[in-house]
Formats: sequence, C-alpha cells, structure tokens
Amino acid sequence: MEIRLENFSKSFGPVKVIEDMDLTIGDCEMVALLGPSGCGKTTTLYAVCGIHRVTSGRIWFGDKDVTDLPPQKKNVGVVFQSFALYPHLSVFENIAFPLRIRKDGSAEIERLVKEMAGVLHMEELLDRRPGQLSGGQQQRVALARALVRQPDVLLMDEPLANLDAGLRLEMRSEIRRIQRENGCTSILVTHDQVEAMSMCDRIALMNDGKIQQIGTPDEMYQQPRNRFVAGFIGNPPISFCDGVIQDHRFVTEGLDFDLPDRFEAASITAGQKVTIGVRPEYVRPEFAVPIEGEITFVESQGREVLYDLTLAGGKVFRSIQGGGPKFKIGENVRWGIDIGATFFFDERGNRI
Amino acid sequence: MRGRRSLLPVWFMLPASVAVTVFFVIPVFMTFVFSFTSMSSDTGILGNRYIVTEATIRELTERGVDADLVKRLGSRVFAFDQAGLAAVGKSGLKPPVVKEIEEKLAGAVFGSEKELFAALKSLKNRPRSFRDRKAVSKAVVNTIVNREFRTATGFRAGLASINVEVDDATFDRLLGLVNTSWSWTTKNYVELLASDFTLKILANTMFYVFFTLIFNVGFALVLALATFYMPSGQSKFFRAVWLIPRISPSVIYVMLWKWFTFDSGFMSYFLGTFGVAPENWLNEYPWTFVIFANGFVGASMGMIIFASAVLAIPRDVLHAAEVDGAYPWQQVRRVILPMMAWPILFVTSYQTLSLLTSFEYILLLTDGGPGFFTTETWALNAYHTALSNYYGNLRYGFGATLAVVLVVVGIALSLLYLRLFDFKALVAEPPIES
Repeated sequence: MEIRLENFSKSFGPVKVIEDMDLTIGDCEMVALLGPSGCGKTTTLYAVCGIHRVTSGRIWFGDKDVTDLPPQKKNVGVVFQSFALYPHLSVFENIAFPLRIRKDGSAEIERLVKEMAGVLHMEELLDRRPGQLSGGQQQRVALARALVRQPDVLLMDEPLANLDAGLRLEMRSEIRRIQRENGCTSILVTHDQVEAMSMCDRIALMNDGKIQQIGTPDEMYQQPRNRFVAGFIGNPPISFCDGVIQDHRFVTEGLDFDLPDRFEAASITAGQKVTIGVRPEYVRPEFAVPIEGEITFVESQGREVLYDLTLAGGKVFRSIQGGGPKFKIGENVRWGIDIGATFFFDERGNRI
Repeated sequence: MRGRRSLLPVWFMLPASVAVTVFFVIPVFMTFVFSFTSMSSDTGILGNRYIVTEATIRELTERGVDADLVKRLGSRVFAFDQAGLAAVGKSGLKPPVVKEIEEKLAGAVFGSEKELFAALKSLKNRPRSFRDRKAVSKAVVNTIVNREFRTATGFRAGLASINVEVDDATFDRLLGLVNTSWSWTTKNYVELLASDFTLKILANTMFYVFFTLIFNVGFALVLALATFYMPSGQSKFFRAVWLIPRISPSVIYVMLWKWFTFDSGFMSYFLGTFGVAPENWLNEYPWTFVIFANGFVGASMGMIIFASAVLAIPRDVLHAAEVDGAYPWQQVRRVILPMMAWPILFVTSYQTLSLLTSFEYILLLTDGGPGFFTTETWALNAYHTALSNYYGNLRYGFGATLAVVLVVVGIALSLLYLRLFDFKALVAEPPIES
C-alpha cells in the first residue's frame, strides 16, 4: 500500500518540527528516514502511525485519507526503539496482543502467533516473559508483534539502536528478508546511514524538519543534491574545501586547478565562492589534479588505510587507499584528486 | 577494622530499633500481658487493695461469713487514744474544750456516736453545736468501711482499731473476700468468645474494612487514571484537591461531614429543592457516610501512589498498545492495570491494616452509633472498653484482649501480604541483559 505525505507539518506549541513535507513511499517499498537526532524523523513516523496529531497537511494510505484517524483505526505495525513489549505478558501474549484486541478466535490467534514465531525463529521462547529475553530476542518479539496482523504499513523507529554490533548486522538482513516476504510498505527511522543504505530501497535524508534529498542509496552517494547530503552520506566522510573561482579556475591556498569542462561560463562566475567536496576514494596518488601536502593522520582499517593529507594552507583532505600502510605521518606527498568525481557547492550549499 | 564493619549497621539500626521497641514491641507485649488480667478502673492497676464497702458487707453475709463478725466489721469505734487526741487538737475547736477533752476523756473508748455525744455533753466546756460534736466524732472515729488498705498488716491493724480480733484462718478468708485489686485471669478471652456483641462487632469491622477498602482503592485508581488522561495542569489541580481531606484536621473534616448531612445541612437543603423531606442523613445512613468520610481520606494516598505508578509506565508501551488497536479503556484493562499490580497490592494491604486499627473518623462521626453498636468497629470497641465509655467503668484487661486480637489479625494479614508480594522475587537477582 502506498503511503503519501502531502504538505505535512507538525508543530509542538510554537516549535515547528516539520514544515511542508512531501513524501511518497511506493507499495512494498522500504524507505529510510535518515538524519541526525532532532531532525524530526521520529515525529514523522509518529504522525504516520497516528500517535501524534498532524498539524497540517494530509497523509494517505493508498486512496484513503488517514490524516485524522487515531492509531487504533490504522492498520499499522510499529517497532519502537525501546521495543515497548508488555512486561506482564508472555512472549506469546505479546505477539497475540493486537489479535486479542481485534477479537480474533483463539485458534486463529494460536495459528498466527505460531506462524510468526516460526518466521522469526523463536518458537522456544513463547512461554518466556520479556524480562527473560536478550536484546535481540526482544527485538524479534517486537517485530513479530508488529507483523502478526499483516499491517498495511510497517514502521520501525531505530529498531537496531539497542542491539550490539554483531546482532545489528544479523537483524539488518533479517528485517529486510521479513519485510520482503510480508510485502508491507515500510518506513525505517534511523540515524545510521549504513543501516539505511543496506536495508532500504530508498532513503529520505532529513535535516531541520525538511527532507534534503530522496533517492536510492547510490543516488544519494553519487549525486548528493547539497552539501548536507554529501557530508552526511559516506563513511569515512567527504572532505570539504572552500575556495574562489578565478579565470575559470578553482583557487585556494595550496590548491589550484582548472574547472572541468562541464562548467560553462554562465553557471559559474569569477569571484564566486564555492566549496568542493571530494570523497576519500578520489584522493589518491594516481589521479590527475595534483595536491601536495603532509600526511598528518594514518588509521589502518585492515583492508584499507585512511590518511589525512594537510595542504600548505591548512586544508585537510581525507584519502582511503588499499594495500597496507605505505605512507607515514609527517611524510610529504604529491597525490591527485579525481576532478570528475568532485562535487561543487555554492555558498548556500546547493550543488552546482 | 573488623569492629567498624560489624558495628556500623548496628548504629544505623539503633534509632529504628529503639523506636520499634518503645512504640511497638513493648506496647504489644504489655497489651498481651494486660489481656490476662481483670484490670479495670474498679480494681486500679496497682495490686493488693483491700476495701470493705457497704456492698461488701452485704456480700460477706451472703458468702457465709459469721453474721456477728460482719456486723462488727461495719461498726465504728470512737477512741480517745493518742492519735485520736492529736486529731481533736487539730480539729479547730476552742482550746478550753480541747483541754477538757484531753483531761477527762483520755483513754476512753465508745462503741457508738450516741455514747460519744452523751459523754461530750457531760463536760463543763462542752462543744455546744452539733457541728462541733461532729468534728470531735470525726477526729476520733475508727472504721474500716470505705478505707483502702494496701497491705495485709495494714488491714489487720484496721481490724484492731475497731476491736475486731479474728483467728488467722478467718483473717485470710476475710482478706481474700475484701481484696478488690486485679487478678490474673483468662476470663477475658472466655468472655470475648461468649459475648453476643463479639459477632456484631466483628461483622461491623469486616463490613467497614471491606467496603472502605473497595471505595478507597477503587476511587484512588479512578482518580489516578482520570488525571493521567487529563492535560497536566488540570491533573495537578485535581490531585491537589483530592489531597485536602488528607491534610485537613480530622475534627474539622468530620464537622464538615456532619454539617453536610444534618437535617438543616447542605444535603437536606439541596435535596429539599427536589422536594425531599429534610432528614438527619448521617443517622439514617451511618455506614454510607462512615465509608465515604474514611474513603476520601484514604483515596488520596492511593491516588498519589497510583498516579506515579501510571507515570512510571513507559510511554512507548502505551503507544504500542495504541497502535496495536487498544482504546483507552482497553489500555487500562490490559496494560495499565496489570502493570500496576504491585502498587495496587501494596495500597490494598497497607489500607487493610490501617483501616483495621484506625477509628478516629468513626469516633468523631458516629462514635459507634447511632443507637447501640451500629457502627462500632473492633478498634473503636477496644478504645471504648478500655479508655472511654458511657458507664465509666474502664475495663483495661478486656480492652487489651480486644487489642490483642487486632494485633494477631494484623500480623497474620501482614505475613499473608508478604507472601502475596512474593518478597523473594523482590530481592531476586535481575535477569541477565545480553
């Protein structure tokens, strides 16, 4: 079922958290709401499931306007960050809860809960209480409870935040598998770009209550619309460098190169301040546009090594290179950047 | 080092131990002890008190004491011995009269007041008025009637002063018969079991505790949940309002109830506008108002505990219930109440125990009435029996017996509640977080 947000705004008293947000999530699609904390992503999720009232704008599930429906009347499954299991009920009863409220027959409930437990590999946990489960097990119970009644929409609020690293990896693919099998439209709220990129079809990157860019993980990475997106997506992060345009050249202290051909005279003017963004993989010895500087930081990540290259003027470029640590701190090197993969942003941060 | 480690907890516990000992252990123990005595305001609480009263004298005859002896026990002897003469000297008579009495009557003994007065009249400086003669009589009279003797020797001396000589066996018998002090007895318990009132008071107590408890806990829950779903400013206001019964002085609180219910009070006035005849509603429905007055006071405590317990439920859990389809009433029944099982159990048990023993509001409101034992509860009855009643005979021993029953019931209930609370589960190690 398609979810559509039209001009959705949400304020708490005088504080505007979300302003005029438009977002369409296709049937069976899984979209991540990604962003730093406080950007309004959880607020959006709570508005979609109906816990928060919408201040203005409309929310559609398929052809149905659900803006003013209370959560009880929307068929949504929600996985909360804290899992929010009912501590006084057994795992079985936790999963069965939405069905009991719906007044399903007990045989039907038994069948559905058992089936769900099978999908999530936790048949042997059904008699336990949430307090007797590990974090990963609780997470699966929360997921089962959200999915057991075949929701139109599955909403997940930082579902992996409370899990340890190993479990997080496992649950990432697990959640994706189950979502595909159930075929329900999903929204995943997360602040972790890796989570968003690995689990979702598309990402909606949010900042300050606005969607900065919506796209597939690749689009986000390859074609960031603005400086925020470029800076947020990518790990290790992109390096930014401020400079000025002179004679169709980008000039800053310690770096000076011809603008690529795609910039016509009209789109970029002399004296304009621009910022370039270069991802670490495009700062390497083999690239054409030369940058010279001193290596000020080396971090081996095993397969790859991360370097900080500090130019004469103090500008820092991050580089990631394979094949073991070949350079040392303090060494002066002459590397290059790939100008074709370099992003240019204007003063307001928009990409040009 | 060792000493510090072992003594510190003792010091910490000392104030509590002293308080528990002084205010609980000793009183309970003494109550238990008193319950096996016949102490009352008749017997006093000091032992060995020998009194011969007019009533005893009649009783002695019935108990087969020699009639002649009984008659002599009640007799008066007027003796001008040293003590008698000294008393005459201080009686305020004129000196010549005193002087002549000392000269002429020293050593004289009279068996009746009539003989004494005749002798006085024969004196030259005789006391002229009846009042003066009475003063002499009062100064020299010896009697044991209505005199309190604390020891057997004192009682024997008392007998000697009225010239009664008895052999040891008779003396011992007499001593036993006139001893009005308390004695050790199990009669209190027998009386408690046999008394017709015991069942009535027991039924009253159970009725009172049960219904007040239901009102208390139920109303506290309603208040806590209602204020939970209210905007925060309003909920604070309502909680503060419901604290008023608790913080207002009980006497004034009960006075307001009385004013509210009497036949020209608010309730009668209000109902009068609907054509209902004025009545003393408290007299008409005493239990209703006893339960309401107590319930409103108790509800505030439950409300505070329940309100904080509701707030302690993670918001996410309630949100989860919402998206799982539960409307407020279903949230309350299926999530909030089960998650508040502990505070509910705690308030219930605490209130049971305090309702069993508290009686000040009933005392002030109906004092066990109207009529005979209508709203008399066990604790109130213990208070009435032992410390304050219409008849004026305070039966400390029987009152203590009533109190002992309360203590035993209270301890039994506490143990039961501790089991229900599953104390071991409370102190059990938490499950391992992975």
